[in-house]
Amino acid sequence: MDVPLYLRPRVDQPLASLLGAAPFLHSLADALGSPLNVLLPETVAANVERFRAVYRRHHLAGRVYFAHKANRSSSLVRRLAAAEPAAVGVDVASLEELRHALGCGFTGDRVMATGPKDPEFLWLAARVGATVNLDSLRELEQLAGLVREYGLGRVGVLLRLSGFECADHGGAGTRMLSRRSRFGTPVRDVEELLAAVERHADAVELTGLSYHLDTTGLEEKGRALEQCVLLMDKCRARGLAPRAVDIGGGFGVGYIADGEEWQRWTTALSEAVLGGRPPLTWRGHGYGLRNEGGTVRGSVALYPGHRPNAGPGYLDELLSLPAPVLGRGPGTLLLEHLHDLHIEPGRSLVDQCGLSLARVLEVRGTGEDATPYLVRLGMNAGDVSLEEHGVLMDPVLLPRGEPGKDDEGPVGVHLVGNLCLEADLITRRLVFLPRLPRAGDLLAFVNTAGYAMDFHAHHAQRQPLARTVAVEREGGSWRWCPDEDYWPITHPGGTPA
Amino acid sequence: MRYDSITEAIGNTPLVRIDPAVHGLRNIDLYAKLEMLNPFGSVKDRPAWHMARPHLEGAAEGGGTVVELSSGNTAKALALLAGLHGLRFKSVTNRMRVPEIKELLLLLGAEIEELPGRSECLDPTDTDDPLTHFHQALTEPGSTYLHTDQYFNPRNVEAHAEGTGPEIVKDLDGRAPDWFVACVGTAGSSTGVARVLREHDPEVRVLGLVAHKSDFIPGIRTIDEVHQVGLFDPATYDTVESVTSGEAIDGMLTLIRRCGLLTGPTGGAAYQGAVRHLRDADAALEGSGRRESAVFIVCDRAESYLSYVRDRRPELLGRASRGPTLATLTDDEVRAGGRSAAVNEARHWITEGDPRPLVVDLRSPHAYAALHIEGSVNIVDELFEELVRGGLPFSKRTPVLLACPVGERSLRYAALLTRRGHPDVRSLAGGIVAWRDAGAPLVRE
Repeated sequence: MDVPLYLRPRVDQPLASLLGAAPFLHSLADALGSPLNVLLPETVAANVERFRAVYRRHHLAGRVYFAHKANRSSSLVRRLAAAEPAAVGVDVASLEELRHALGCGFTGDRVMATGPKDPEFLWLAARVGATVNLDSLRELEQLAGLVREYGLGRVGVLLRLSGFECADHGGAGTRMLSRRSRFGTPVRDVEELLAAVERHADAVELTGLSYHLDTTGLEEKGRALEQCVLLMDKCRARGLAPRAVDIGGGFGVGYIADGEEWQRWTTALSEAVLGGRPPLTWRGHGYGLRNEGGTVRGSVALYPGHRPNAGPGYLDELLSLPAPVLGRGPGTLLLEHLHDLHIEPGRSLVDQCGLSLARVLEVRGTGEDATPYLVRLGMNAGDVSLEEHGVLMDPVLLPRGEPGKDDEGPVGVHLVGNLCLEADLITRRLVFLPRLPRAGDLLAFVNTAGYAMDFHAHHAQRQPLARTVAVEREGGSWRWCPDEDYWPITHPGGTPA
Repeated sequence: MRYDSITEAIGNTPLVRIDPAVHGLRNIDLYAKLEMLNPFGSVKDRPAWHMARPHLEGAAEGGGTVVELSSGNTAKALALLAGLHGLRFKSVTNRMRVPEIKELLLLLGAEIEELPGRSECLDPTDTDDPLTHFHQALTEPGSTYLHTDQYFNPRNVEAHAEGTGPEIVKDLDGRAPDWFVACVGTAGSSTGVARVLREHDPEVRVLGLVAHKSDFIPGIRTIDEVHQVGLFDPATYDTVESVTSGEAIDGMLTLIRRCGLLTGPTGGAAYQGAVRHLRDADAALEGSGRRESAVFIVCDRAESYLSYVRDRRPELLGRASRGPTLATLTDDEVRAGGRSAAVNEARHWITEGDPRPLVVDLRSPHAYAALHIEGSVNIVDELFEELVRGGLPFSKRTPVLLACPVGERSLRYAALLTRRGHPDVRSLAGGIVAWRDAGAPLVRE
């Protein structure tokens, strides 16, 4: 075997010192079982501050809305509820998320309701004065009907738009294609939508326009933002007074610390697919790449693990882009037109906010050269759905006690889960660890708070679901409490903060 | 030289020796094959013409559109060739990263479709791949698309096997060079030329240059990307090495400033990569009495890459500033010299002042048209900066109120104009945002 192909995670403070506190993490897992999710609520507040700094740099007003679906924890939402109300809101995509956000201390005026909406969800959102991010004409009519029928106050609404590539503003001879989305109303139908907003003016008040594009491409987003600014002008011309442009999320997270490692690994994947080196994955899985007559075809289905510019940096870059039609960067454009900016970062707002622990249950040799060891963990692929989201990251080994003298050096292992299913691999990739783990060690999957921690967790085969705890550093040690008992006004444990 | 069509001017490009005093190799003669002297400006003129020719001649009456996945020189050549034959050209790409090339293509009448960026939320079941759509559209019944397919079309390689390669051999008096150095884009030129040279001399060593993986050099693929090219065969190259954009620009500067070769970054990368690689071989020849020769390709010209250079080496294109400008004004000077007026004071000044101030709104025309202070004039800040570079654009007897979104830029301009001798320039404190928040009236047009 040649040089180990590590994909070591980026770990910032305070997550790094938490990892350094291995005896603390072992005691938590001993008491609460494997798998176990550990959250750092203070970090989510620090992340909000980083986004706010970008707002300040561009002199922009508006809110950062946490996309609740990224993590179902209470501690994170409660910590955000305690942040500056004018600056921080929550984006909820279901009735239960809405109830949870309200229960965590968010008032209705700080809530944005998005996603597919049932009548109950719409009614409660309208009832508490949330802003509704309307997906379609039908939803607008349904909402207006509820407002009238139950005598509710006027509801602030954003119109979610899509299909920007079809608009007229593409510039001579250039058409920027976008991935088709299930959500939002195509820009070409905006007239009809605005007419409906006017018709239902007694029930709804247009407060802004929104979009969310599933892409890492800055130009596509910049172009959509510019078109929203042009459309805002159209709204004003009609006598409406929208104030905010909501550009959704998708600012990304850089998971891998070292770009070279990421590049070496992805190059090796191409080579392995072409047969130029042994497979890097269980049964030669190609992550979307395939070999057709000696040429690699297909596109790699992986999250871009090393992103030199993600999260707040990505937002800054987006706001600083030159704009194609009006010639000004999106940030300047919003500012000059006196528009507020709303964003809904999910993943990037909980960057570095937590980790998932799994106990090593068994280490087994396979007798094969290429994949010598299987390591069975006390978790399954649903508990840490890195694979499902295409995120490749090595876990951090937290040995129980001192390593033995005869421990081997770097070793490639396959991490398998606790389900009785062939497909239950924690990762399809051959994972390199600094040495072979032993039963009783812990593996820490870091930076899992965004979508990876509990997004796909399930009760199949009655394996235990992860419990979640919130932790906070105090001097040289760590305090913890169950996630559901965390309140930002007291330290974990109940003493006043 | 008299031709009936510009296409006859494709090929037969010069092979120019690089002065040894420039490259410093003592035992190797280094030659540049000047593909930039093709009529449309690049090495791609050859394959574009060779691939498109059968289509163009057949399709002339039927109309239709030539399509190619290209962000640069192939698109340029195909757009011109299509136009010459009364056809349209469409380029599909996600790599249009050099603005001059994009604008040039638009000037040539090309249509450009830009592919979406990568998905942020991974959907492993995603079949909505834009490239798949592209290939489906090509094969739809009744489709009038003529796809030249440069990454897979053997005629791309043939163009070089019949043209570029034999020309090199002819200019070296019937001998193949000992080394051939080529940047790998579609792999067409390297594969075609290498084939011909090896037929002459199986000992020819071929060096393929790719872009460093995290870097970008227009027209060159990275090591991963070459694996997606149908024409790429690792067996063509004795060595594949990567070069950085920094090296490409270094090479470009050497060739431009010391050799009179107006090359773009790809030619620069080929030169720099060649010299870097040949240094060891040169040392090994020392004292053996043998001389070797090497040929690299200069793909295209410098003019289209000014913004590429500006992004990476702004100092190469820097302008020296004259007199106090916005950029040279320090924060202390702004604080000391900039007067501002709060919203209420400004409102009073505008209605009651004697004389009343000229209100200048520094935002973009679109924002100005949407909402502005009644009676204000709009001079966009970029234009304003140009205006004040030469002096004062207003009479000193006219008081001026400058307004920008938050009162920051306007304060800098107020300080600058004050330093230039204007007695009464003020900046609207907090800008149009504060004006709006104070409930002061704004009008739209």
